[in-house]
Parts: sequence; structure tokens; C-alpha cells
Amino acid sequence: MENVHQFTQAYSQSPWRKQMYMIGVVLLVLVSIAIVAGIYLNVTARAAAVGRQIQEMQVRIYGYHYLIGEASDSYVPIEELEQNISNLTSQLAYLTSYQVMQERINDLNLDPIDTAHIEYLEVPGYIERQETSLAPPPEPMVVNASTIDPEFKESLFDWLADQVRKTVKYFSEAQP
Amino acid sequence: MRRFMAEQVVSAGRIRRRQPTNKVSESIHSVNDKAGQTLTGWRFNLLGILFLFAGVMIVIQLVRLQFSPERNEFVSQGDQYSRTLHIFYPPRGDIYDRWGRLLAGSTLVYEVGVQVDDVENVDTVAFALSKVLMAHPEYDYPGYYDEIYAVIIKAQKSGTAYIQLADFVTPEELSILQEWARNYSNLPEVDYGKVGRPSLSGLVYRPRLQRYYPENELGANVLGFVNREGTGMFGVEAEFNDLLAGVPQSIWMTLDPYQVTEIPQLKPGVDLVLTIDREIQATAEEVLDNALEDSGADGGVLLVMDPNTGEMLAIATTPRLNPNEFWNYASVFKDSTPYNRAISQDYEPGSVFKVLTMAAGLDDGAVTMETEFVDTGSIQIGGIYIHNWDWGAWGPQNMEGCMAHSLNVCLTWVATQLGAGPFYQYMQNFGFGQVTGIDLAAEASGRLKIPGDADWYEADLGTNAFGQGVAVTPIQMVMAISSVANGRGEMMIPHVMRSMVRDGFQYTPTPQIIGHPISTDTAQTLTDLLASSLEGESSDALVEGYRVAGKTGTAEIATPTGYTSDATNASFVGWGPVKDPKFLVYVWLEKPTSSPWGSVVAAPVFRDMVERLVVLMDIPPDDVIQGLANH
Repeated sequence: MENVHQFTQAYSQSPWRKQMYMIGVVLLVLVSIAIVAGIYLNVTARAAAVGRQIQEMQVRIYGYHYLIGEASDSYVPIEELEQNISNLTSQLAYLTSYQVMQERINDLNLDPIDTAHIEYLEVPGYIERQETSLAPPPEPMVVNASTIDPEFKESLFDWLADQVRKTVKYFSEAQP
Repeated sequence: MRRFMAEQVVSAGRIRRRQPTNKVSESIHSVNDKAGQTLTGWRFNLLGILFLFAGVMIVIQLVRLQFSPERNEFVSQGDQYSRTLHIFYPPRGDIYDRWGRLLAGSTLVYEVGVQVDDVENVDTVAFALSKVLMAHPEYDYPGYYDEIYAVIIKAQKSGTAYIQLADFVTPEELSILQEWARNYSNLPEVDYGKVGRPSLSGLVYRPRLQRYYPENELGANVLGFVNREGTGMFGVEAEFNDLLAGVPQSIWMTLDPYQVTEIPQLKPGVDLVLTIDREIQATAEEVLDNALEDSGADGGVLLVMDPNTGEMLAIATTPRLNPNEFWNYASVFKDSTPYNRAISQDYEPGSVFKVLTMAAGLDDGAVTMETEFVDTGSIQIGGIYIHNWDWGAWGPQNMEGCMAHSLNVCLTWVATQLGAGPFYQYMQNFGFGQVTGIDLAAEASGRLKIPGDADWYEADLGTNAFGQGVAVTPIQMVMAISSVANGRGEMMIPHVMRSMVRDGFQYTPTPQIIGHPISTDTAQTLTDLLASSLEGESSDALVEGYRVAGKTGTAEIATPTGYTSDATNASFVGWGPVKDPKFLVYVWLEKPTSSPWGSVVAAPVFRDMVERLVVLMDIPPDDVIQGLANH
């Protein structure tokens, strides 16, 4: 037993072993820090790159275009697509505007009909022209009170009173 | 033995270093070490103090900055470099007619500017822009080239990053600029001397939407327009500007890539569906323009309303502006001419007002259809004498005769039978002296003097009875007479907004009744009376195949020296078919020159309009409806 103690004491007190131990600990800390720093750098660098890409896309949306030398039109932000749709809708409206249609009528030598040339017939089931509907009407909001759980309606005092009542009832029923 | 073993074990193959035994050298080392330690300790202490002092100063400075007056300035300076403010505008809502035809939409335009650091040749940029935009209404002035040149040079000196050079550039103009830029970029690499290589480098553009009206002038007085700042002016554009424009959002966009700011999802502006029918509106404008040409009138109004709901089917007025070229406003609307006469210009309506006087008299019971009045050609009231339009005496007349011959004396008598109090109460119930509430901007309220006002005299009761001395707008007349025309006595609020589309749903408000000034019986009785009087007079307003009711009006125009001018306001109001009214048409011609009488110049306009209206509205003639009913 004494030999073991001396053996341990001899090794533990060895200066070069202590030094190695300290160096090892320091190196371990350094390597750990380096690994963490490396991972951090890697992740943040990728985050920064993605962030820059997003910013560039945002610039495409609200920013400016050069007259020439930009990327192809294969990538167009939604906002610009919506602008193009609005523009085309307006162009279509112009092509079917009253003035343009009148010019087409004149080109086709058509005359507007007057009351003297209209023959009225009774057509069973005829549905007269319906006014425009660009979207469905709002659905009426029906709130069925019975489907709402009491937890969403009762106050704290209601809840406390209910709990007391249930507890009293429980004990009263438990009695023989 | 134990010690030996320990030494053996400890050495472990190494020779253990012997401890120095020289006492002298040990003492010398000890002295030197102490001196060195003292020296080192002094230096370390000094360094420590210096670092501590620096650290304390830094902390003090940090604390001072946090509470210093310059703190906000520093923060704002930091913000300038870390983020930029962007305002996102939602697309403006579209406007449709009642059948879904686009009346106001959006079109692409471009803002053109320069990234100053990228500009290679200022002269080329200024030259290209001034040449390409020389036909643009805002940049066609001679000094535009010099202006661009000076602005870019100034920006280069001041270090400005971006400057805007033009706005509302059309797609065609931008295409030309792009073509020029391509041509310049393909120029050979040679020495261009002092002027430098021509280049449009640095010139950039940004697309955005601008209001566009595909029908041009059609319905312009109803729609209004949107100015350069994106604000609605006049008409529907102004009245519903907040809804149409949506809610812009200001966002600080960070420049830090780790904190990318999300671009907000903007709700687009509300789309509006109007009660206006494009075909009826176009017809009304055409009929009105023809009437102005034929009568030589200065201006006019032609309104078409559904008296059952108050929906305005057409509001035609003059002059009209192409809202796509709204910058011509000042040249179109001269001498304080309102943008929409129908709602903004009051006038003395004349005999069309007799419809309401008679309605009040019948409804109150002051007169009945059988009441007889002996017209002596004049009547005294408030110290003045009222005469008929022809200065004649028409003898015994019933109420139909009074209306058919448009007798001022008779209607003045009806008003006196009614009494001033009830008469003005009825007129207020008809909505005079206050705005109708039509959903169009810039409505005028007119003026109805009532007993108790400083400028009201008893004679006013007489003149007001036949539409003189009272200032009303055409839309007020239409609203008041809707209570007679719909046969129910219910006065409907005139409106042009039929429904709105918001968040994917279409909301359609219910037509609003603003009052019930007369009874159903009175409305139907008066309608029959006016239809008979038109037929009895063989009026030019009669429409073949359709029974219509109506009344002409001719009003003298007041001048600073009294009613001394020959100029008149000629009007006609009519509605039909009498059995099931579908339309109410109001015509007003200002200062016609071919004839001063409403029966001559305004009544035929009503007929022309109705003849085309019944086709557009698919209204069969009375005999067809009667035949179908008997079938």
C-alpha cells in the first residue's frame, strides 16, 4: 500500500508531467474554442451570404434597374408581375373602350338600333342581364354560442365558483 | 534502504538533478532576484495603473455618452448607415362601371435617375434624356439639358449617391433610352478626345404604376383624377381616396445582412363598382353635346337616375377633362367653372321646381286635383306682383291646367294656400339648403332662404313657388323629385358607388332612403297629373310608345342689377314609364341662345335621351308590357 502511495506521489509530483498536463488542458481549451469559432464563422458566413442574396432580391423589388446589362427576365419579382398584369388589364380595357368600339362599329357600317326596329318576344325562363360580381359576397358570421367552451367566456370568479361547487358536490356525493 | 528505493523509483530511468550547494552564489542570485522583482514589480504596477486608468476613462466616456445631449445625434448618425427608409405603396384600387367594365386602372410608368458614381459621361446622359423626353409634357422645355447637366455635376461634387432626373416616363420613351444605351455600349474603343466616350452608364430606372383611364373623357366628371402625388382629386377618386389608395407602409430596411427586414405584404386598395352604366353615360354625354351645339348653350347637365334606388346611371356635364392629361385642368375649367356642375353649381331652377310646390300642396291637402283657381294674370304677395311667363290671364284652371301651362300665378297661390311655414318645411324635407350626401367630392349645398333669415321676405314665398330666388344643384332636384318619380314618396340618396371589393369579398350597401316627404298617393297622383299635362300640351318631351311624366323649366338668371338679362336656364325633368318608373332624367342647359324656353330646347333633349335609354335598359313599350300582362 505504501508502495502504491509512493508511486502515485512520485508521478503526481513530477514537474514535467504537471507541465504536460497544463499544456494539454490549455490546448484542449484552445482547440475547443477554435472548433466553436470555426462553426460560428461557417454558420454566420452562410447566414450573411443568404442575407445578402435576400437584400439583392429586395433591391430588385423596390430598387432600380440599369438600362442594359441586367439579368434576363426569367426572374421577375411578384410585384413587377402584378404591375405588368395591371398594365395589360388597362390596355385590354382601352381596346374594348367605348370610343374604340364605336370606331369598329363605324368601320363595319353598323347602325345603333332604335325603338322602331325592336321586336319584343316573351321567352320563358329568360334571365335578364346580371350586374357584375367581381368577388363573392361576404359570408355572414354565425356564432353558435353553445359551441364556445365556458373556458373562453367565464371570468376568474365564475371559474372559482364553479370549482368550489364541483368540489362540494364531489364530497357530498362521496359521503355514504 | 527505503530512501534508496524511493530515489530508484522516482528517477524512473532519469538521473535526478542535484540541488545547488554553493551558498555564495545562492545569496548573490537572491539579491539579484529581489532587485529584479522590485524593478519588474514597479513596471508591472505602472502598466497596471495605466491600463486601469484607461479602462476607467473608457467606462466614464461610455456612461457620459449615454447621457449626453449629443446621444440622439449619434444614434441617428448610426441609423443612417445601418438602415434606409422605404415607403411601400399598395397598388391603387380599380374602378368599374356597373357591368364590370374598367373605368380607372393602372399603367406602367418609370422613374429615371442616375447612380452618380457610375456615370461615365454626364454630357451623354443629359443629351439623351433631353432628346428622348422632348415630347414629354413635363420635360419639353428648352433648359432641360442644362438642368440635368448641372444637377449631375453638383451631385458628383457633393457625393450624392442617387438623383432622380425624370418621372412618369412612358414605356415607349424608356425603350428608346435602352436602345440608345445599347448603341453607346457597342461603340468601338477609340480615343474620343476631350468629350470622352459616349455612355449612358449610371442611368437607372424604376417601374411603378400610374393611374390610367381607358375611356379618356368618358365619365371624367364622375371619376375625377389622381394627381402626381397620387392623391385623388374630385369625383370618386377624391371621395374614396383613402379606400382606393390603401395604406402605405414605411419600413426601415436594415443594411445588416444578419437582420434582413421582411418586405411587408401590402393590402391593395379597394376596388369600386359604380352604379354608372358606361353605355348610358356615353349616350348622355353625346346627347348633351349635341344639345349644346343645337341650342348654343354655355354649358349643361344631363342626369339619369334610377328613382327606385337612387343609383345614378349617368352624370353628364360640361366641360369635360381627359383625366389622363389632368395637367390641362386650368385650361379646361376657366372662370371658376366647377369640375362637376351637377353637384357643385347651384342655380335658380325655374318651373321644374313647381313639381315640388304642387307636391307639397297636394300632400298637405291645401289643394286637390279638383281645386279650381281663377287666373287673373297676376297675384300680389309681399308687396310685389307675380305674373305668368306670358304676362297673360288664363282664367279658371284646375291643378293640371296650372302645371300644364306652367302658371306662376297659380303656383304662387298654391304656396300661399299652404302657408310659409309648411311650404318651407316641405322644401327642407325635400333636402334643399343642404347637401344630398352623394358620394362625390365637392358637393354644394345651395341656398334656401327660410322665414327668420335676415334676407327672407314674404315675396320670396311667391318667387320660390316657381323656382326663382332659390339656389339648388341639379343633384338636389333629382333627389327631391325621386320621391315623386318612384311612386312611393320615398326620397332616395343619390349615389354612384354600387359596391366595393375588399379582402376578396364584394360588399354591396343597401340603397338608403333619406326621407319620406310626401305620401304614396301624392306621388302617384302628381305623376299622373304631369303625364297628362305633357300629353295635353303635346310636349316635345313625349316619347312614342312610352308614357312619361315631366315638367319644363325656364328660369331668369339673376345679375348684380336684378333679373335684367335675357339669358335663361332651360330645364326639363321627366321620368317613366309611368306605370313602373325605371328612369328619372334631368336636363339643364345654361344660357341657350336658340331659344330661351325649356319647352323648346330642353324637352327635346329629354326625348332624345329617353328614346335611346329605353333601348339600352331593355324597357319594352307600354303596349308590349300590357300585352304580356294580359297574356
